[in-house]
Amino acid sequence: MPLLRPEEETKVRKWFAELEQPVELLVALGPEETPRAGSGDVDFGADMIRVCEALAELGERVTCRLEEEPEGFPRFPAVSIRPDGRDAGVRYDGLPWGYELGSVVGAIVEAGREEPTLRPDSVTALEELDRDLVLDVFVTPT
Amino acid sequence: MLLAFRCALASERVAATAIEANEFPQLSQELGVFAVPRIVVNGEPRWDGAVPESEFLRRVLAA
Repeated sequence: MPLLRPEEETKVRKWFAELEQPVELLVALGPEETPRAGSGDVDFGADMIRVCEALAELGERVTCRLEEEPEGFPRFPAVSIRPDGRDAGVRYDGLPWGYELGSVVGAIVEAGREEPTLRPDSVTALEELDRDLVLDVFVTPT
Repeated sequence: MLLAFRCALASERVAATAIEANEFPQLSQELGVFAVPRIVVNGEPRWDGAVPESEFLRRVLAA
């Protein structure tokens, strides 16, 4: 089954063609937690590879790399979205399918920009941070 | 979700992770995830639901 509908794929190809810098998808594979009942017989690791490789095929500046249990990844599968190959602390833990595929596409588009797209006052506030912030956002695919 | 990613991309002091709640039920249970998006800052559950950028920043910076 294709990852995106034809009209969606056209849009994503256009967005990825406009990336100002390369974006690497580092797919981290390893032991997986047993998901909630109802998740079916999904092979989350294999599907993560399929999704990320399919995304990388939609833009010349998007690449995909696989690693087994890389350091700094507490959960598997996961994908780190890396502007110009740099770990910017942007990660998706779990398989991004359904509505959440859009979050990864959006992250790639954002990581491909050379300048932040937040409002200037937001950027200033973040630049003045004197401590580290770890934001975890729990999501579901529907 | 994208707002958290934008914050991480704008600052080296911020990391942002989306966590698929159904795939990690143990962690979701520990953090009392019953609604999404649930925003957790430095390990502490803060709020549920999407908010505009200015409010998101205000809440995150106040954490």
